[in-house]
Amino acid sequence: MVSEDVLKTHLQELRRGTVVVASLVALRRPDYGYALLQRLTDHGFPVDANTLYPLLRRLEDQGLLTSEWNTEESRPRKFYRTSDEGESMLSRLLDDLADVQTSITGLIQGVDR
Amino acid sequence: MNTLTDRYLAATLRSVPTQRREEIATELRASIEDMIEDRAGGGQDATTAEREVLTELGNPDLLAARYADRRLQLIGPTYYLVWLRLLKLLITFIPAIVGTVVAVIDVADGKGFGAIGTGIGTAIQVAVQIAFWLTLTFALIERFQPTVDLPGWTVDQLPDVPAHKDISLADTIASIAMLVLTIGYLPFQHYQSWVHETDGGNIPLLDPALWSFWLPALIAVLVATLVFEIVKYRIGRWTWTLFGVKALLNLAFSVPVVWLALSDRLLNPALGDRLSWLAETDNRNTLGAAIALGAAVVLVWDLIDTATKTRRQTA
Repeated sequence: MVSEDVLKTHLQELRRGTVVVASLVALRRPDYGYALLQRLTDHGFPVDANTLYPLLRRLEDQGLLTSEWNTEESRPRKFYRTSDEGESMLSRLLDDLADVQTSITGLIQGVDR
Repeated sequence: MNTLTDRYLAATLRSVPTQRREEIATELRASIEDMIEDRAGGGQDATTAEREVLTELGNPDLLAARYADRRLQLIGPTYYLVWLRLLKLLITFIPAIVGTVVAVIDVADGKGFGAIGTGIGTAIQVAVQIAFWLTLTFALIERFQPTVDLPGWTVDQLPDVPAHKDISLADTIASIAMLVLTIGYLPFQHYQSWVHETDGGNIPLLDPALWSFWLPALIAVLVATLVFEIVKYRIGRWTWTLFGVKALLNLAFSVPVVWLALSDRLLNPALGDRLSWLAETDNRNTLGAAIALGAAVVLVWDLIDTATKTRRQTA
């Protein structure tokens, strides 16, 4: 029986990069931090608040997201949206993710059990 | 206002770059309020919700480091191996050299056996200094020079398979340094000890009568031991022959010392003139027995230690 800790570490490793992909996809529709967090969680990408908020700023610094302040509501919120640059980066990432899936499938089928 | 949220924001923003502080503050506060509101909407008490949300966000220093993309390590994987290699390289010989030099200078100054303590103390200080400054340098490089081009590793850097696998150079040098110091001390104490006559003349610690035979003999054994250490290093590992020679050399040194100490011939009788405690026969016998016991314990310990190493390395 694999220990829970080992399993947790490997799952974390496996999930790490997918948060960026998921965020870039989700932010094709502009959203603010906490709403994005909930959307990601609802779609099976549970992510910690203290990871996501700094990540959004970093992606913005890298030019993959653009942002806009919305002051119409009760409190000012910063809305992020995937930029054109982010979009082209995203398509590369999605291709790669698909490649990984294909490769894994091929490997699984090719291995005699 | 001095709510938990205010305190949390202040603690986080303390260490993010100034030019983004305002913006991060506004956004983070909104996010925290969103999270609290969401929980409170689910029927939770607002104060409890606030505590839970801030607990979930975790240590503000960690959060700030993520915002600032700061490294949470003293020396990261980029430099760790170079740092370790340099540290090992410097620690292996510089403290030993400095310590020995200081001890030798102290002996020349007439400080006697205290010089060994001074030497060891200095060596430890030097080692601590090296470790501190090297680590500080690398920690600074890690923070301010993230793109230093280190020469990449190539197969040419592979060291030769060490010929001296089991007996290290450091141990050999340490043993030889100890032997040289001891050999030097024997004639030295004759002219310079810490006991003086009333007129300022020197009283040797060891009985001067021993110079007619025993002290030269002991020095000869020590010189032979020194040669043995070098031969042992050249051979590179313990063998049972080496163990036999080592045991003989140890016995040739310890047995005379024990015998001389027990028969009260080791220490200079003249010491009793100045140190009244030593004038009494009982006390002299006690001291002699203590020296003999000490020598015997060192002998037995060394034999056991050497036998263990030999058995392991010949296995």
